[in-house]
Amino acid sequence: MKLVIEQLRIQYGSIIAIDDISCAASRGKVTVVVGPNAVGKSTLLRACIGAVRPATGRVVLEGRAVHEWRAAALASRLAYVPQQSTVAGGFTVREVVELGRYALPPDRSHIDRAMGTMEVRELAERSFNHLSHGQQQRVTLARALAQSSDDGILILDEPMSGMDLDHMLRSMRLLRRLAEGGATILLAVHDLDAAAHFADDAWLLQGGRLALAGPAREVLKPGRLTETFGVRFDEVVTGSGELHLVPVFDP
Amino acid sequence: MRRAGKPMAMLLVLAGAACALALLRLCIDRPPGGALSLAWPEPAFAVFRWKAVAVAAIVGSSLAVSGVLLQALLRNPLASPFVLGVSSGAGLGVMFGMYVGWRVASTSVTQAESTTRSSLAVFASSTFSALIGGIAVLSIVFGLGRRRGVLDPLSLVLIGVVISAMCGAGMMVLELLVPNRLRGDLLMWLMGRIDQGIDGGALMIAVTIGAMGIAVAGLMGRAMDASTFDDDEARSIGLNLPKARLLMFVTAGGLAAMTVAVAGPIAFVGLIAPHAARLLVGPRHSLLVFAAALAGAAILIAADAASAAIELHAGRIPVGVFTALIGGPAFIWLLKTGRGQS
Repeated sequence: MKLVIEQLRIQYGSIIAIDDISCAASRGKVTVVVGPNAVGKSTLLRACIGAVRPATGRVVLEGRAVHEWRAAALASRLAYVPQQSTVAGGFTVREVVELGRYALPPDRSHIDRAMGTMEVRELAERSFNHLSHGQQQRVTLARALAQSSDDGILILDEPMSGMDLDHMLRSMRLLRRLAEGGATILLAVHDLDAAAHFADDAWLLQGGRLALAGPAREVLKPGRLTETFGVRFDEVVTGSGELHLVPVFDP
Repeated sequence: MRRAGKPMAMLLVLAGAACALALLRLCIDRPPGGALSLAWPEPAFAVFRWKAVAVAAIVGSSLAVSGVLLQALLRNPLASPFVLGVSSGAGLGVMFGMYVGWRVASTSVTQAESTTRSSLAVFASSTFSALIGGIAVLSIVFGLGRRRGVLDPLSLVLIGVVISAMCGAGMMVLELLVPNRLRGDLLMWLMGRIDQGIDGGALMIAVTIGAMGIAVAGLMGRAMDASTFDDDEARSIGLNLPKARLLMFVTAGGLAAMTVAVAGPIAFVGLIAPHAARLLVGPRHSLLVFAAALAGAAILIAADAASAAIELHAGRIPVGVFTALIGGPAFIWLLKTGRGQS
């Protein structure tokens, strides 16, 4: 499934959060949205799940604007992981993951597999609200996996925030595998080096506009990032011969 | 949250407790100035006690389910019809209706005509006024209890308290405006009372509204589970949020309004019963709704039994006094232990 953004403009009163963005997240690819704070990354992702009504333009899925889809029909094609999930009440981890199939037929094996993939089975009976932020993010990812199909769309807003390094890398690899299996992955990230390593495509946002879009290795270049973030970036080659993006901390 | 045991077993325990308390209430006998005794009532008294049990059960369960709905709707475990001012709004509506009814009766119709107005019609008009008052307050609290577009638990409670105080002031004014002979009745009604002399038709209406509201809430169990996520996430898993919220809103308001019309504004049952039920059966709403209904019925039947058993020279203590005495500390406990955080 392909998610197409057409001349999107999102406005909150007189504030323009997103201005004239056109691009597309393709099936089988991991696409990252990067940019400094408050450039509209989360707003763009919220528009992609139909949570924000555009002032002009639209986000299109299967020929129809996402905000016009019925919630249940959209849920069978598209899953979402917010920056921080909030669940009122004392729901256990298993109950939260099961809610991923709220609008879909119950499927215990799918739920078990999602929990196993995100390594949250041992947390199954613990209260979601008593977990650390990183653990909650893993559970929320498991909930999204329980909801999504192999060729579905997964939209994630900083899904790795709060995760330890090991789980962050595993989650990145998982998203990569899902994309290779036919899913469409669109995520906002802060870790530019990880983004350059795992993503196929990148969208660089600046001031609510799309500054650059294309293959991740071309978009996430030190010169362009320095210009956007106001911090000097460098490319370094590790002992194993891998190229990495690092910010340079000037004294 | 630790859960006491298997949910279905806990549901049966609650049902058993409610039945046992109902039996106790039926058997409590304390004539004015006499001693307390337990005996199966004679047929002449039995009908009144059965009515008291039925009123307490339907009012208690409706308040509890209204509380469950409001807690899910507002994602706030401190929400209840009383705390959010819905009961006060409904109360103001009922008193305003009563006042208008008295004015009309005293100015435009003859005494004979006014006495022919059946208690059923009075109850129906009270329920309607309560509904308008309750829904109006809920709309105000819902509209003002937001910060940057997001429902804020603390703001909701504070606005509820303020609106409740304003409605209380309105009720005091109306209380002063009615004649002395009505004032005593109004005062008892304001403290929350279980009327064992309720008109049969009025009781049927109350039972019908209560049963329908509880059934709707039960059918909305999964939607209420989904609505515990924030808006974006709830929508993303497939919940039609506007429709679900409207249904929760109207059902919660309707149930609370009916209870106020029947028994006056009774405090805290809508708060304690959902929390007690949640401790026993967990947070899944399809079960929680029925567990809370049973807990609410049990609490109010117990309060009415206490009211029937304790004799003061001034007469019976209204049930609202007992629920406030239990519910007040419970509310503080919820705040202090953090269980009141969403």
